Amino acid sequence: MKKILIVDDEQDIVESLKFVLEVANYSCYCAYNGEDGLKMAKELIPDLIILDVMMPKINGYKISRLLKFDNKYKDIPILMITARTQEEDKKIGEETGANEYITKPFELDEVVKTVDKYLK
Amino acid sequence: MDKILLISDNQESSGKFSKIFAKNTFDFFVLKDELMIMDSITVYPPDVIIIDTFSIDIDFKTIIKKIKSANENIVITLFTNESINTHDLVKYSNAFITEEMSDKLILSTINMNLKTKNSLEKLSNTNKDLADSLYRLNALYDTSSKLAGTLDKKKLLDYMVEGMDKSLSFSLTCLLSFCEGENPVLILNSLYELSDELIEAIKLRTILNYKSLFENSKVPHNFSEEDLKIVKIIKYPATRFNFSLFQFDNMFAPISLGDDFFGCVEIFKDDTFQAEDATCFQTIVRQVTLPLKGATLYQELIETNKELEKLERLKSDFISIVSHELRTPLTSIKNALDILSGGKCCDINATAEKFFSMAKRNVKSLSRIINDLLDLSKIEAGKMEFNFKECNIQTVIDYVKSSLSELAKGKCINLQVESRDLPLINADSQRLEQVLTNLVSNAIKFTPENKNIYIRTDLINAKDIKANPLFKDEIKKLNGDCVVVTVEDEGIGIAQKDLKKAFDKFAQIENSLSRKVGGTGLGLPIAKQLLDAHQGAIWCDSVPEKGSKFYFAIPVMKVGVPL
Repeated sequence: MKKILIVDDEQDIVESLKFVLEVANYSCYCAYNGEDGLKMAKELIPDLIILDVMMPKINGYKISRLLKFDNKYKDIPILMITARTQEEDKKIGEETGANEYITKPFELDEVVKTVDKYLK
Repeated sequence: MDKILLISDNQESSGKFSKIFAKNTFDFFVLKDELMIMDSITVYPPDVIIIDTFSIDIDFKTIIKKIKSANENIVITLFTNESINTHDLVKYSNAFITEEMSDKLILSTINMNLKTKNSLEKLSNTNKDLADSLYRLNALYDTSSKLAGTLDKKKLLDYMVEGMDKSLSFSLTCLLSFCEGENPVLILNSLYELSDELIEAIKLRTILNYKSLFENSKVPHNFSEEDLKIVKIIKYPATRFNFSLFQFDNMFAPISLGDDFFGCVEIFKDDTFQAEDATCFQTIVRQVTLPLKGATLYQELIETNKELEKLERLKSDFISIVSHELRTPLTSIKNALDILSGGKCCDINATAEKFFSMAKRNVKSLSRIINDLLDLSKIEAGKMEFNFKECNIQTVIDYVKSSLSELAKGKCINLQVESRDLPLINADSQRLEQVLTNLVSNAIKFTPENKNIYIRTDLINAKDIKANPLFKDEIKKLNGDCVVVTVEDEGIGIAQKDLKKAFDKFAQIENSLSRKVGGTGLGLPIAKQLLDAHQGAIWCDSVPEKGSKFYFAIPVMKVGVPL
């Protein structure tokens, strides 16, 4: 089973993502802040990471940059989640190497489809 | 008494002249030594000098040159005879007398020369006064034009002192200014160095002067002595003033206009001030008050503007933060609903299905409201980004038609598009889709079942557009050929008095009819702002119970003009 790491400080969002992805036959691991997220990403080496931008301490950009510039992890696809307010986020997200960019409020089906695109 | 000096070592001529002048109340004296003569000219200058050319020892040409270089106003008369060279006579002297002349003739010659001398002196004094006045006038003019050229209070006061220096040549000005920041400043412009004790005394004197202006009322600016900052500008620091400074002639004036008090100024001079000096002083002080008042108002205006800008920014920040905070929980609600209604957790019966779709519908509408709010705050803050490109309006219409056909079908409304070939426009097609989607979905909202909605396009020159006169200002913004899109419905219509309000923010909130159909009332204000960004216009017309027509126009791209 493919491993997906979900990093978001919004527990509710993590819950719902986890549910639909597990229904879609992925095994999910969750982190609720940037520090844990980065640590887990390095230990677990997941097949895909879903990453929220706005998190205290280490935000999504930093994590994405740290992973994408490391040869060991640079091939892990990263899906960035952010609110539509920060349109400039998209630009930075692309610069930091995120593969996809999903805006809140998002459709769960959409997320599953995007994940499928990378892992099936 | 006019003074007459005879230069001679001849006893006989001394006696002769002494007899003539003593009788006629002249101060007559005789000198023969060159040193004494020169001393007398500087210390006790005679009005007339008679040089006895018969005295052998003295070369009259040399002595006259010396006298003239010491004092050129003295009348030189030569005591000589006809043998004198006419050229020398004209060159060196004003007149000559001879032995042959009678006493009366000598006296009248001297008198005439004295009169001429006095008149010349008067003329020269008047000339000097005139030059002074001219200089002063120039200084005043210069000052007033400088004062008119700035709104900086500090500079205004600097120019005032500069003007006083030029026209009154003071020894010291003490300017108490309330125009520099929080605390008052005492600016001392001095010719010579001031000791600390002297400055302390000047400081106390200035504060007393200031307080004496408001003996019976409250002082406009309250400050303690320690808060008074001293600025010292010394012209010649090698020399010092002492306490005799306070015996100098001085003038004092407040710098104020109405209720505004900007400071006060005292000016000292090691000489007497004349009446004109006082006028000049008052004029300069008066001249600076008006621009100071102007500068104060200007400053207030800038501050108010800053405050307003800050508020505006706060408002848009607030909206953006609030919407962001609203969006996050909304996402979770939506996710939960999607999971539940998807039947992945439990079976869903018909009733549950009904309520799920109710909840979902409302989540959708709430998220639309948040998006509208965000859009509006972004546009108002000038943060909305536009992607202007060559754009075919027909593509926009086709997209909106297909995306809303489902909604129209649901109400059995016939969505009719009249398409035609139109020139390209320079536009952000996504924003135009937003505008048209809003107009068409409004039309669907307000049109009863089984009716029609028409979307038409036209190419019209701005001056040929016929719109409801309520919108004549809106039409005026347009120029040249425009693509005009019309959305016509057969709905409930809008009363004439409400037509303009339709484009006001939150206008629908007051309208009970539209409450039933929902909506934020932000769609049309957003559309208007978006069209403003396209140099376009939006307006409407309506017949109540018959239907409404909404129009928007965008200028056609000019051929050859780059984007």
